[in-house]
Amino acid sequence: MSTVSENYVPGHAAAAPQAGAVKLTMVLSGAVFALMMAFGLLMRAAQGQWIDLDPALFYQLLTAHGAGMVGTAALSGAAIMWYFCGRHLVLSGGIFWAFLGLFLLGVVLILGAIFIGGYGGAWTFLFPLPALSGGAWEAGAAAAFMLGYTAIGVGFLLYYLELGRRIHARYGSLVRALGWNLILGREDNDPPPPAIVAAAAVTIFNSIGIILGAAVLVASLVHLLVPGFEVDALLAKNLIYFFGHVFINASIYMAVTAVYEILPEYTGKPWKSNRLFAIAWNAVLIFVMAVYWHHLLQDVVMPPWMLVVGQLVSYFSGIPLIAVTAFSTFLYVRGSRMTWDLASSLLVLSVAGWSVGSVPASIDGMISVNKVMHNTMWVPGHFHTYLLLGEVAMAFGFMAWLVRGKTISQMDGLDRAAFVTYLAGAVGFVTVFLFSGAASIPRRWAVHYEEWLSHDRIGTLFGGLVVLGTLVFVLRFAARLGRREG
Amino acid sequence: MQPVVLIISLILMAALSAVFVAAARASRGPAPGPGASAKRSGLIWVMTILGVIVSVASLRDWPHALAGTGDALEVNVSGGQWWWDIDTTEIPAGKPVNFNVTTEDVTHGMGIYDSSLTLLTQVQAIPGYTTQITYTFEEPGSYQILCMEFCGVAHHDMVNEFEVIAAEG
Ligand code: HEM
Ligand SMILES: [Cu+2]
Ligand SMILES: [Cu+2]
Repeated sequence: MSTVSENYVPGHAAAAPQAGAVKLTMVLSGAVFALMMAFGLLMRAAQGQWIDLDPALFYQLLTAHGAGMVGTAALSGAAIMWYFCGRHLVLSGGIFWAFLGLFLLGVVLILGAIFIGGYGGAWTFLFPLPALSGGAWEAGAAAAFMLGYTAIGVGFLLYYLELGRRIHARYGSLVRALGWNLILGREDNDPPPPAIVAAAAVTIFNSIGIILGAAVLVASLVHLLVPGFEVDALLAKNLIYFFGHVFINASIYMAVTAVYEILPEYTGKPWKSNRLFAIAWNAVLIFVMAVYWHHLLQDVVMPPWMLVVGQLVSYFSGIPLIAVTAFSTFLYVRGSRMTWDLASSLLVLSVAGWSVGSVPASIDGMISVNKVMHNTMWVPGHFHTYLLLGEVAMAFGFMAWLVRGKTISQMDGLDRAAFVTYLAGAVGFVTVFLFSGAASIPRRWAVHYEEWLSHDRIGTLFGGLVVLGTLVFVLRFAARLGRREG
Repeated sequence: MQPVVLIISLILMAALSAVFVAAARASRGPAPGPGASAKRSGLIWVMTILGVIVSVASLRDWPHALAGTGDALEVNVSGGQWWWDIDTTEIPAGKPVNFNVTTEDVTHGMGIYDSSLTLLTQVQAIPGYTTQITYTFEEPGSYQILCMEFCGVAHHDMVNEFEVIAAEG
């Protein structure tokens, strides 16, 4: 039984249709990441009282940063997965452009809602807060924000419809694309490569997430427009966190296809779909949907079994991540004599950051720990770990790979400096958040007590390093892209 | 509890990071031998067994268990944009307290902090529901309620206080 992807061509970029659209998307993503990081830095400096921000503006920035970062993580992840699925499937370019257009329409609506309409109800739009702002924003601003989400959601559904359709056409069924022949030990002389297994799984769970998210969006919109239309707040919260959890995780699961497809060019060993890999992805498919209850561990009126599942799955999700993805990365790297350029360094870092970030996440997934850590800075501490050092590192690694030279060579001085700055900044930044969480500092507070300021200030300094490193990555990417296209 | 959680997390995170650094270094070393897949199975078993032990140990006593109404003091807390109302301002130390928490508008989070600003326990306040938690205060002193769920522009101002007094007798 051969498990080697047939499309694998060592040291050579396989056919990549729509590379132009993907590159444009990555330039946009890089620019928005940098801008949103600047917003983040403003918030951190305001918490440290180094600058003076009106709380209303702080919460608007928080809303923009949350929605903007989650959206951009998903956008960049989607571009990466599209690019690599294009090596194995014929995908329609028109769909990608429609997806990108709807995304940008959504961005315009969201930015307008926040900075013109004053909406500051956070990216999670927890029902019924959008409708009850206490005078900070009008219903129209909340509605514009939600219409922005709707546009982005429709774009993503188109994207997944196209992927699902093409996977079905090429592999006969999503079940086969999920690697069930490998799992059942059946003969398959054309097994789905890792990028396709990932795409099949993400297509299923993120479509479900977006549809449930759309349901609560519509209910919230009707509630805004029709007074008296009530929704059960706990049900709405379940739907929102299901959507939010699945959507942000999908961004990492899409971006990891860059690791599967790019690292082999460096190690000379193709990343194979095998039985264990397929089992891991099918486990992820279930886990990512069943784990969202860990956001509701302090909603004590939830049925207890759901909270128990939330705790258990938070822990057991770590097994496919650490024992399969991280462990395989070790094996591929070991003895490979690979060259550590910016792309390969960032991609290996991304697997590390993702795995390391899962540790404080699963510990916080324990109900008893969560009682004193929930909604403290511990939470931004763990998710910034697997976003800054995971998804974003994957996106930056992919960008560096897109514009790498003809021959792979070690990082030059500036790339190395940017890498070290970014890494040191991000590690420091998230560690401070974890210390702050352990010091009981609540998250999402515009104004901090005297006792907390040193945390905020040290965090701001590290955050500044992250922004510096990012600027170098993004500007160099744009410059190298310009040079190669021009 | 928080310092222990922090230390365990940092140790595990540092250990995992060290493994990654070692793996990156090993790119110059020999290729993985035939024992790799056995090591992976071992890792899966260790993680599974550890998970079962920790899960059972941490859930055997249900973390949200309430004290029986007979021997507990009932305290009602209600929240709204942006205030907390507590119907008992002096709570005796050493006696379990059942907090019954409600909200008049959006979702809030009732977090109880001691005078050194350490979070002791919390529960969400959900529109249309009464949520309950039990806590027993050991030390007399002043305590604060801080809002733990984002609820609008004055979320950080939603703070109130109560006193815990030494039990008589
Ligand atoms: C220089 C880099 C960054 C800085 C300085 C920064 C800063 C911040 C700050 C100060 C907060 C609010 C913390 C609080 O609750 O009090 C925050 C929240 C958040 N950040 Fe970042 N961040 C950075 C990068 C990122 C990245 C790369 C992502 C995702 C890809 C991200 C996603 C989020 C999300 C989802 C929230 C939660 C928003 C909410 O609570 O509604 N951040 N960040
Ligand atoms: Cu989650
Ligand atoms: Cu609040």
